[in-house]
Amino acid sequence: MAISRTCDGMKRRDFLKVGVLGGAGISLSGYLQLAQAGEISRRAKAESAIFINLNGGPSHMDTFDLKPESSDEYRGEFSPIRTNVPGVEFCEHLPKLAQCADKFAILRGVSHTLGAHRLGTEYVNTGNRPLPALEYPGYGAVMTKERPGPRDLPPFVAIPNSSQKPGFLGVKYAPLNTGSTPSPGQKYSVRGIALANGLTINEIEKRQNLLQDLDKTFRGFESDNQLLDGLDRFGQQARSIITSRRAREAFDVSKESPEFAKMFGKTAFGQSCLLASRLVESGVRFASISLGGWDTHRNNWDSLKDRQLPTLDEGLAALFTGLELKGLLESTAIFVTGEFGRTPKINTERGGRDHYPRCMFMLMAGGGVRGGQVIGQSNDTATLPESEAITPDDAAASFYYNLGIDHTKEYHSTTGRPITIVRDGKVMPKLFA
Amino acid sequence: MKRLLFVTLMTASFAVPASADSIVEPASERFAAEDATETPHFRMHVVPLMGKLGCNGRACHGSFQGQGGFRLSLFGYDFEMDHKGLTEADPENDKEARVDHEYPEESLMLEKPTLLIPHRGGKRMDVGSWQHRLLLNWIKGGAKNVGEDDAEFVRLDVTPSEILFDAAGKKQPLRVIAVWSDGTREDVTPLCRFQSNDDQVAEIDEAGMVTAKNSGDTHVVVFYDAGVVPIPVIRPHTELAGANYPKVVTPTMVDQLVVDKLRKLGMVPSDLSEDAEFLRRVSLDLTGSLPSPAEVVSFLQDRSADKRSRKIDELLERPTYAAWWTTRLCDITGNNDDSLANVTPVRSTGSQEWYDWLYKRVASNVPYDEIVAGIVTATSRNTDEEFTDYVKAMTEIYKEDGEGEYADRQFMPHYWARRTVRLPEERAISFAYTFMGIRIQCAQCHKHPFDRWTQDDFEQFSGFFGRERFTYGINPKSRDKYNELLETFKEETEELNGGQVRRFLSEKLQEGKMAPVQELYAVAPRKPSSKKGSQDKGPTAKLLGGAVVALNDHDDARLPLMDWLRSRNNDLFAKAFVNRVWATYFNVGIVEPPDDLSLANPPSNGALLDYLAESFIEHDYDMKWLHREIANSRTYQASWRPNETNRLDQRNFSHSIPRRLPAEVAYDAVQQATASDSETDRMLAEIKGRAIAIPGANGRNRSTRGPQYALTIFGRSTRESNCDCDRSTEASLLQTVFLQNDQDVFSMIDRKNVSWISQVEKECTEEAAPVAEAKPEPLPPRAKNQFKRLRGRLEKAKKQKNEELAKTIQKQIAAKRKQFAEIAEKKKAERKEANAVEEPESSVAQLVDRTYLRTLSRLPDEQERERSIAYLESSETPVDGARGLLWALLNTKEFIVNH
Repeated sequence: MAISRTCDGMKRRDFLKVGVLGGAGISLSGYLQLAQAGEISRRAKAESAIFINLNGGPSHMDTFDLKPESSDEYRGEFSPIRTNVPGVEFCEHLPKLAQCADKFAILRGVSHTLGAHRLGTEYVNTGNRPLPALEYPGYGAVMTKERPGPRDLPPFVAIPNSSQKPGFLGVKYAPLNTGSTPSPGQKYSVRGIALANGLTINEIEKRQNLLQDLDKTFRGFESDNQLLDGLDRFGQQARSIITSRRAREAFDVSKESPEFAKMFGKTAFGQSCLLASRLVESGVRFASISLGGWDTHRNNWDSLKDRQLPTLDEGLAALFTGLELKGLLESTAIFVTGEFGRTPKINTERGGRDHYPRCMFMLMAGGGVRGGQVIGQSNDTATLPESEAITPDDAAASFYYNLGIDHTKEYHSTTGRPITIVRDGKVMPKLFA
Repeated sequence: MKRLLFVTLMTASFAVPASADSIVEPASERFAAEDATETPHFRMHVVPLMGKLGCNGRACHGSFQGQGGFRLSLFGYDFEMDHKGLTEADPENDKEARVDHEYPEESLMLEKPTLLIPHRGGKRMDVGSWQHRLLLNWIKGGAKNVGEDDAEFVRLDVTPSEILFDAAGKKQPLRVIAVWSDGTREDVTPLCRFQSNDDQVAEIDEAGMVTAKNSGDTHVVVFYDAGVVPIPVIRPHTELAGANYPKVVTPTMVDQLVVDKLRKLGMVPSDLSEDAEFLRRVSLDLTGSLPSPAEVVSFLQDRSADKRSRKIDELLERPTYAAWWTTRLCDITGNNDDSLANVTPVRSTGSQEWYDWLYKRVASNVPYDEIVAGIVTATSRNTDEEFTDYVKAMTEIYKEDGEGEYADRQFMPHYWARRTVRLPEERAISFAYTFMGIRIQCAQCHKHPFDRWTQDDFEQFSGFFGRERFTYGINPKSRDKYNELLETFKEETEELNGGQVRRFLSEKLQEGKMAPVQELYAVAPRKPSSKKGSQDKGPTAKLLGGAVVALNDHDDARLPLMDWLRSRNNDLFAKAFVNRVWATYFNVGIVEPPDDLSLANPPSNGALLDYLAESFIEHDYDMKWLHREIANSRTYQASWRPNETNRLDQRNFSHSIPRRLPAEVAYDAVQQATASDSETDRMLAEIKGRAIAIPGANGRNRSTRGPQYALTIFGRSTRESNCDCDRSTEASLLQTVFLQNDQDVFSMIDRKNVSWISQVEKECTEEAAPVAEAKPEPLPPRAKNQFKRLRGRLEKAKKQKNEELAKTIQKQIAAKRKQFAEIAEKKKAERKEANAVEEPESSVAQLVDRTYLRTLSRLPDEQERERSIAYLESSETPVDGARGLLWALLNTKEFIVNH
């Protein structure tokens, strides 16, 4: 077994010894100090995660960071409403979220510089500014590696697909894409998990037994060959997933009680949230949801008012409330973000707002996150952070922290380069205080 | 064109043992005595020592942010920066100089690493040690930087050049002599950094003492200045090493070289593979396809001695060979559709053009170096093609029923036109990766830790690749003609923005109109060739490890680059390719990973790599020769089954290593295994519908339909990051879930008309048909005549009103009927009996055999046959049984691996 060397002369095995003496941001000792400081460690205990990607880049100024006092050039058409947290206001078209604002934290004045969809998306899905020669793994992939879940469940499910790629960690950590979203009250299943072609468990067992008896050519050689060993283990795991009632039922949202399901509404997004809550309840480690339509260069207010905001409001509020009802909010870390915000200054020609990464919002909830607080602040026109910016890196570090994953841990890229899970991020203690 | 090519000698040489007296003794001895007065040299002693002490490591002062306000160049090759960092203060940033000229002993660079004052990096040396004295003397001597006329580093001589251990715990010291351009030879052993590439086999300590551990082979590597020298270390696995080695057949040169190494390790090659194993392996490797069931049967029946080499020749002529190896070439050249947006005259055609261009050349076996030249020196226009002719050619390619094919163009310009390789650095990295199998990106920011490349080498090499040398866009030389053509569409394009104009023009082109087209073109030098004696030579660039090239001397900077690439002095070009081909056949390259041909990552069998690379060049870069040479070797044809001696071998080719089928091949294998016999034949004869014929790739992972989903989870190359690791051959959960339970696989098993299951279904109903209809047995001709005659007589008797006679004849007819009926019945029974004995049983066994042939490309053994028959017989219908058995075999490890 050869040792893969790293770009800077260290052998793989040296890593644990060397640790993270040199990294910027929070060092290992700092991380441990934070964890040992007591007030936060007890709260960071999420067992699973739901990541919601608002693809296209939602306008921060028309959702969670309104500036009613700013001039016409900036303000926009919506009025603020009170939430159930004193002093915190949202857009008037988010009434349900306003009523459960105590369940999540709002990050304002988050800032970066990547104004293209693809780059921004990669950034907020990995916590690392993208590099051309290296693909960072998404949160779900890291979770799958660090905290593999129960054997008979897929660890990482993307509804219906995800921008999170396994990157240099390799195909082993790729998500299971559902490829579709459930319809209200209908039976639901996904490829690979459903019993296809009218096969019964009985028939599957019969086939599996045949397979067991015939798959003997390499028997006894698995220990000498990583590939054969992997094929063997994954074969067994696939069998347990396919024959697992739990796995099938985890996807079948029609099994939820009608009253509970009703909360989530009839939209694809609402149903995705319902599915995610069900998956997490079953023991799936990481579920991601995509909700697009936020790229509102034109008709910003109409699209938001008529379509985007009611959808988000209903589904996301139901997710927070539903998880709490099920007693799962404390064990589920939730992270909601788009790839950037939108230009505070209105594009009057088109009646919209354009890409704007320098000031945006993010939402975090569950696990050790203390809900009902605003962290960070944007300036009067929501064009820049008021003081120190929160970076996507910091958000990522905090998200990992919430999941009990040390974001300063080092992996090796396939070319042997040492790569920190989150290169530049710092955990935000206030989030968990 | 006269150019001087040379390769700097930095590799170890053992040919000339230096005489002892001319060698400067090691610093550890010269600086041991308290009264040592020698002033050490910054480059020769101080920087290496700081590297040895770990000062310039990544976690310490080599970090790009520095550490504690003090920064050194990572791995120490930037002498200017290091000297400045040590000797200059930076009051603005509250940084003191590390050197104190007034009180040398109190210099921070001495007090910190001895912990006289706190140091986060801990204690690195003692006060009064030779290391301390060396650094102190340097400061006392004025802390001088490298002088302009100082000697250059030439090479390292390391003894011994190879270490053979016979037992764990045995030790062997290394001695390292640095040779400088002024003839100085110094024992620098105590100043070198050492590393073991596998410390399970050998450990090496700071003093260069190598200690044997487990059996196996690896290298220990010596680092000093730009020198990187790997020394092989071997401890045999068995008693069979050397003289005790048994006689082993080595029919080819490849086999001899492989066995030469195995002999040292005491490992014996595995037995020859069985015919079926060989056929499956070689078909998958050469053509990315399973052999057809009929092909397996006829190969097994063939008794001729040369059937394996004939099969190899036959496979190399198939379109599937060209398709699969085109796919591999698309991988290393980076045919990625995302990177081709807006760099081809018509959108979304780039990947297919790239694929077709390569396919045509692979199929007709154009030499590898010529193919590469067609990429490296590419322009969109053919040589000497006028702009209007170029536009005309494009209309022929893009218009409906046009006569042009992109594959017939002289060059493949898309490689350089990609949006991902616009900066000179990106181009340099991509070029070095694709054509030389090296990773120079490390040297973009610091001295390459495992190779000789310095930041300076990287920068100078990048000089070939600037956009001022070649670029994609409107060629200024034909801008007038371009604008003239554009003018003809003036009215239609006036209101449009840039993207819309581009779309409009591409539509016109597709309509066959002369629409202006952008192009990849070389920029000729601004100044004419520099005159003799002139001081200003204009811009220059330096070949990696080679000569400096005056760029003004060349119309196209890529021409000298290409000449150098294929010149005999540059061994990496051929090595990178033969090593990659070898790696696809043996799971690992001779150098592994195959795209890391760095000095510190030496080949497991240097002689083998040299032989293959040199012979490849001698055979004019004939790719088919290379495939033949490898596939015909006994080494390639060895069984995957290890023996007692070679079970642990993964890197010395003593047996075949089971590898997972690459994504495209895996998908095609499922398609093939589930296809009817005639469809299987079609899939081998043409590449339509095959995954190995999909041209482009990208890193998006969202597609859930068609082959894309499967290709993504099986790790098809994303072709995005200049790394062979963009392709994955690992196992994963999603892959096994896919094979076991995905609708795509079930759909393939039961696809209409062309699936094997539908074929079996049809066969079953046809077989059943005669029994079902139960027609009466036809009468034999003899009986027909008898009846005819009898009936004639009966008619006659009736006419004659001879009733008695008529009755008699009727009786005779009835008797005859009965007689023939009995005969027919008997025959039928006989046939039924015959059927009962042979057919029903044999059809079940046959079904089992045929399922094995189409999946595992072999016949089942007795046990497998019995178990499968039992399954089929317990199934409701033979079709159900076949479906279940097919499913089970698709899910065996044996199916999804090449072995």
